[in-house]
Formats: sequence, structure tokens, C-alpha cells
Amino acid sequence: MAVSHFMASGMGGIRSAGDLVARMQFSKNMKNDKAKEYVAKKLGLSTIEIADEHIMRELREELKIGVVTGVPGAPRGIAAKMNIERLIDTKINSCEIFRGLTKR
Amino acid sequence: MADNKKALHDAVIAYKVDGIKEAVDNARKAGMPAGEIIDAMGDGMTEVGILFERGKLFLPHVLSAAQGMKSAMEVLGPELKDSGDASTKRASVVMGTVEGDVHDIGKSICSTMLQCAGFDVHDLGRDVAKSAFINEIKGGCTMCGMSALMTTTMTVQRDVIEILKAEGMRDKVIVMVGGAPVTQAYADKIGADLYGETASETTSKAKAISK
Amino acid sequence: MTQFYTRMGDGKRVTLTKEQILNDIQAGMADAADMAGVPDLTANDIEMLFEIISNKNRIVGVEPGNEVIVSYDIGQLDFTGDNGNSGNGVDVGRMEAALLHERALGADTFELAHADYSIKPVKPVIACEMQAMEEIQNEIVIPYFYGAMPNAGLYYAPDGPYGNPADLMREFRIEEAMKAAELTAEHLAKDIEYVAPKLVAAGADGFNFDTTASAGDADFVGTLYGVEALRKACPETYIMLGMAGESVMGIHGSIEYRGEAVAGKYPHQQVKMAEKAGANVFGPVVNTNTSKSLAWNMARSVTFVKECVKAASIPCHVNMGMGVGGIPMWETAPIDAVTRCNKAMVEVAKVDGV
Repeated sequence: MAVSHFMASGMGGIRSAGDLVARMQFSKNMKNDKAKEYVAKKLGLSTIEIADEHIMRELREELKIGVVTGVPGAPRGIAAKMNIERLIDTKINSCEIFRGLTKR
Repeated sequence: MADNKKALHDAVIAYKVDGIKEAVDNARKAGMPAGEIIDAMGDGMTEVGILFERGKLFLPHVLSAAQGMKSAMEVLGPELKDSGDASTKRASVVMGTVEGDVHDIGKSICSTMLQCAGFDVHDLGRDVAKSAFINEIKGGCTMCGMSALMTTTMTVQRDVIEILKAEGMRDKVIVMVGGAPVTQAYADKIGADLYGETASETTSKAKAISK
Repeated sequence: MTQFYTRMGDGKRVTLTKEQILNDIQAGMADAADMAGVPDLTANDIEMLFEIISNKNRIVGVEPGNEVIVSYDIGQLDFTGDNGNSGNGVDVGRMEAALLHERALGADTFELAHADYSIKPVKPVIACEMQAMEEIQNEIVIPYFYGAMPNAGLYYAPDGPYGNPADLMREFRIEEAMKAAELTAEHLAKDIEYVAPKLVAAGADGFNFDTTASAGDADFVGTLYGVEALRKACPETYIMLGMAGESVMGIHGSIEYRGEAVAGKYPHQQVKMAEKAGANVFGPVVNTNTSKSLAWNMARSVTFVKECVKAASIPCHVNMGMGVGGIPMWETAPIDAVTRCNKAMVEVAKVDGV
């Protein structure tokens, strides 16, 4: 079921920019088209390009926002999410908590 | 007579106990036989069930209509007995959600609808042991309704049917099955007599099959 | 006459003519329009549904540019669960399941879930859930929720402290049944207020209330007040509220949320209540009729959901699983039917996610 939906219409999460679009839907109540436009503008791409794995694979590595394949040294988890916060100008709860825990 | 039938039908749909009593009184004064009054109210209850499933009426309304019918039956029952017309008396039904399954609501609504339609409902609740269904059937229930909400528990419906066969009781009982994962194809496969997609469909089919 | 391969609502393969498919589309649409008092689909919508159903390819998909978000519910249980919830019976850990969904299954969001997948049983194990959330948040990139069903049924006898309304009503104890439902709604809201902020404090991106109103109108009201409380406690958290069916079942009948009875509300009305409570994303649900065709079920579902999306000020992620969203009620739902329903929801109903 999961794979069928992903293949039929899904953005593919970190294969492309699905996680970023999802964050804008949830954090700003943006409908899908607005969320995609917002993310596309931040990335300097079109709304079709942000769902394109060929474009997004290298861009994600370059932007250090998490890649779908195992790349040693590439940020993942909190580190990737902190870069996402800056990229799309949003706060991410786990990053806020991480910062709170590491304050000196 | 047609006006009285419509008035009874409409009074049940309006689900007010007093309104139902009044419609019954009027029908009796007009000489309408008890059996026909009960049938007209039963048609109204079927409509109430459909309106419930379509979100137009809610459970308290269904029960209020049923309460009105129950009050009417207190008067009509003895008349029916005196006239010797027992054709509207319906079967005893054991109902339950099968063992291992705690989903209760759909089954309970179905029990309510059957009760409203005049069946003598023995609702055993949920997570009901196979033996409990069998015991009720041995005790006189001629219909057995089993609900299952999970693909892991729907197989118990088949198990009960197999026990009925093994004990030589299969021909004595009408087996009804329902629940989200249950389909007509599955009912056919396990040898059930009746499958209901909804509570009102189950009740309509139960009324038809038990006639 | 040309015959098209299609499905019944129980998943069985059948062949139908164009006329039969169009008749079923019309009938399914009419059923939804009549029930919910919503507009019919347009002639163009109907034509699109027919094209989707009659497409000769095994799977179909949306046009590039029309992709949407796929937000997954039920957490790791789709791996670890049994066939009762379409699980694979593979006992992977919750971390592994989360990362596999992110990296191998194209998930745009995912969630942590308790084996019982209900709010109430999370209370005694809240610390375990918080630790799992903290650990997985360190590794995952996609939005990661905590998910559970409000499941008000667990507050009624024999599982909970209040009388079972269905049983009480059968004994004509109507007032008592209604009171039990009201107390349950209050209890559920308090439990949500206890559980959900703790998981947000552990790093959850948000909370997914799944299968809301499965126990009827009091379940919905309790959840809405719980969502309000969560929104007040955690103003920035993501909240997804998904439903259990197209209509809110009136077990109480007149219980209200902010002065409005919720029983009998349809998706386009439900979403406005979810918005008022503070949800960010709404998940409409339409149940499948196993005796009707895919065309009937798809058209019916799309009719409800299209109006919901139109009425919504927040994004809508339609539920598209076994027996919902037009998809057949079958454990291994046929891929041809799943992808057709998906495309119809995205390109005709215009949902923001599935």
C-alpha cells in the first residue's frame, strides 16, 4: 500500500523535497500548491523540479539537508534538520529542544 | 386504512413515544388489525435504521422510536395473541462480537435494529467465546449473528459454523455475519446464510429470511 | 462491446462496459451528494474518473507537478502488526521502521506508535514513548509525529469507568447513556492533554489523531477539545486530525463542540470543526461498500472529499487504506485499484496529501 501511494503521487520525502513541503503544510497550514511554491522559491527551482529526484539528490547533499542514500559524513537527523530550519525559515521542535539541551 | 398505515410509519420516523402511542390508538379505533399495525410500525423502523446510517437520525432517536414501539406492543401483543395471529413474532437471535475481538459498536447497533424489528435479541457483547454462541443456540436461538472487525478474528465466524456442523445443528440455525473486513464473498466461502453490509441491511435480510 | 477490467469493493476483479462504469460513477456520486448535501461532480470530473478507471495500464499515477504529500499513519505497526492491521508480521524496531519509511518507502512524514495505537494505554508507558521519540528524532529528517487513535470505546464498560451507551440505550436508559458519553468526552480530552504535550516535549514534530470519532460523536467532541488543549499548550506543534468515517455517528446525538452538535456531520463540515480546534491538517475518510464497484466507491469518495477540500482552509490528507477512500476492502489491496483511487483523489478531489 505504502509503495503504491508513493509511486502514484508521492513527492518521495527526502528523495526530493517532500519533507520540506510537508513542513510548510503543517507549520503554516499552507495548501499543497502554496507549500510547493514556497519551497521551490527557497530552493530557486520550479514546483516540478522540487519533486525531481535527479535534481534534488545532489542539491540535498550540497545543502546538507539529508540524503536518501547512505553517504558517510552527510548530515542526518538533528544536524540536517538544523540546516532545513535555516533553508526554509521555519522552527523544528527537535532542533529547539536540542539547542535547549546544549546551552551552556 | 392507508392513511393509518402512513400515520404509523410517520410517527415512528418522528421517534416521539407519545406520537407513536397516539397513532396506534387511532389505528385501533379505526379497526386496523394488530398485525397490520405492527407491520406498519416495522416499516417505519426500517426507515429509521436507514436514516441513522445516513447520519440523519441518531441512536437516541432510534431508541426513542423503539421505546414507542415497545409501548405499543404492550397493548398490541395480547390482542395479537387473542386473535391467534402470531405471524409477526420473530425469531430469537444470539448476537456477539467473536472471541479475540473487542469492537462492539457496530454489533450493538445491529442488535438494537434487530430488537426494534421485533427479534428477541440475546446480545452477548464482545469477545464472545465460540461455546457461548453454541449454548445460546442449544437454548433455543434460531438465528446467530457474529461480528468481526479484524481480519485476524473473522476466521472465528467460520469456526462457529464448523462447530455447528460437527454437532449436527447447522440446519437448525440461520447464521449471519458482518463487520468491516467481512464481505459477501467471505460469507459465501464460510457457508454463512446472510451477510449484511450495514445494520439496516442485516435487519432487512434477517426479516426476509426468517419469514 | 468493449469490456474494461475493474474491481468490486471487496477487491474481486470484474469486467464492466463503459455504460456500466459511467452508471456506477453517477450512482456513487449521487449517493454522496444526497447524504451530505454537497454538489455533484462536474461533467469533466466524471470523464476524468472514467479515464482513470478504464486506463489499460496496471498502475496509474499523477502528472509530474501534481505530486502531493504522503503522510503515513499507524507508525511501525505496518511492519510489526499482524494482518488485523495489514501488518507484515516483521518485528523490526521502531527506529528501523522510521528510517526505512524515510529512506526506502518515500514517506514524507512518519510517526511513532504504541502497539495498542490508542491514547489511553499510552498513559502508563509515557516515559518509554518519550525516550523512543527522543532517540528517533536524533536520526530522522522527515517530520516525525506521535500517532494514536482517540478510541473513546476504551472509556466505556467493560474497558473503562463509564457505562456502555449502546448497552444502556438498548435498555432504554437513554439519559444515562448520553451522560456516559459526555463523561467519556471529558475524560478523553483530559488524557489527550496529558499525553500529547509530553511527546511534543520529547521532540515530536506533532501529534496525529487517527480514526477520530470511531466511537461516535462523543469521541469526536473529546478529541476536538483535546486538540484545543494541545494547541494551547504547544502553539507551534503540528496537529493532524484524521477521521473514522464519512459521517459522525450519533451515539449521543446532541453532544456539542463549541455550541454545535457534531453528530451527522460530513467531511466538509468536520474539517471546519478541526480547524476551529487548531488542527493543521485534516484527514477525511470515506468507507468502501464491498458490494459496489470501484467506480461507485471512487466516485462516492471523491464527491465527499472534493467538497471537503473546497471548504477547508487547512490542507487535507485523505485516508487511502484498506476499505477507505474508494480502495477495496481487501488485506492486500490490488495495486491497480489503489493507484486509481490515489490519482482520482489528487487530480479530481484536489487533496493536499494522502
